[in-house]
Amino acid sequence: MSDLGRSSSAARAADVLLRAMGGLKVMLRMPAPAVPADVTEQLGIATPTFQDLPLAPVVYRKARATIAAGVAAKCELLVSATAVEAIVGSLAFSSASVLLAAAYGILSGDELLEIVAVSEEQAFGKPYVYRLLLRAPLRQVV
Amino acid sequence: MQNAKDTFYVMLQSRLAALNPSRTIVVRGVVRPGTLVAENELPTGSVPVDVFRMEWTGLQVNSAASLPLVTMECSIVYCTDGTSGDGGMDRGRLLAGMDAELASALGAEPHTAQKMNYSAVGTGVAPIAMGTNVFWADPIFGAVTSMDERLARTSTVQVFAYQEAGEL
Repeated sequence: MSDLGRSSSAARAADVLLRAMGGLKVMLRMPAPAVPADVTEQLGIATPTFQDLPLAPVVYRKARATIAAGVAAKCELLVSATAVEAIVGSLAFSSASVLLAAAYGILSGDELLEIVAVSEEQAFGKPYVYRLLLRAPLRQVV
Repeated sequence: MQNAKDTFYVMLQSRLAALNPSRTIVVRGVVRPGTLVAENELPTGSVPVDVFRMEWTGLQVNSAASLPLVTMECSIVYCTDGTSGDGGMDRGRLLAGMDAELASALGAEPHTAQKMNYSAVGTGVAPIAMGTNVFWADPIFGAVTSMDERLARTSTVQVFAYQEAGEL
């Protein structure tokens, strides 16, 4: 089997495992591209529109978020590389890293979580799952 | 106060862009001059390098006169990792270049700009000139902080404006 075949197998196997572990669906919130030379956006007067794109299957790495007094809760989300690549293709981004860097956050239920960091797991040179470190909104801090 | 903040940002961005047009940043897919106001952008944990990031950190209002004098402190944060192809060995020179650009932009005459109201700006609608000026002091350059390969500095500048009647 070629490396391409092996890497595709790893991505499919990861999808099966993610579905078996619960396989949630979340939404990737993408801001619209900025308007060139628009001073109102730079001054915070005009705000961009957002587009929510479905992302599935995904699984929270731990059922409970990491919490501490006075600090926003953080959690880690495992995301199917197949799902990410589908969005990369449909929105014509050059790569998954550019897509996830441009994303504003993850909408999980009614909660919008900020993407703090992104890493990927690879097999034979191709990612099969993305790990997103997410931060809960500060208003939930007690 | 908001009009003074907006006016100062537009002034500083245009002066810095004139000094070094190649200092740019990509924000949501669009190339802009490399100066931004942190509170006007989407919140993010990542720190952009080789650009000037403005934060409004202090405020004082003196109501003794008929027009209240507003004194605001603007922190201008900038950092550089150097050129990766050069192993970051030029990071000191790049930071010095940013120091010089900022000092030149804020030190250039005049030290004032006519206060503008941008709140109604839209397609075909220009900002409205107001009756007073925004003026500022010379910047105070803070100490360089070093974290791994990154050099960062925060400079502060006092910005003054008169609060006109009915102004937010």
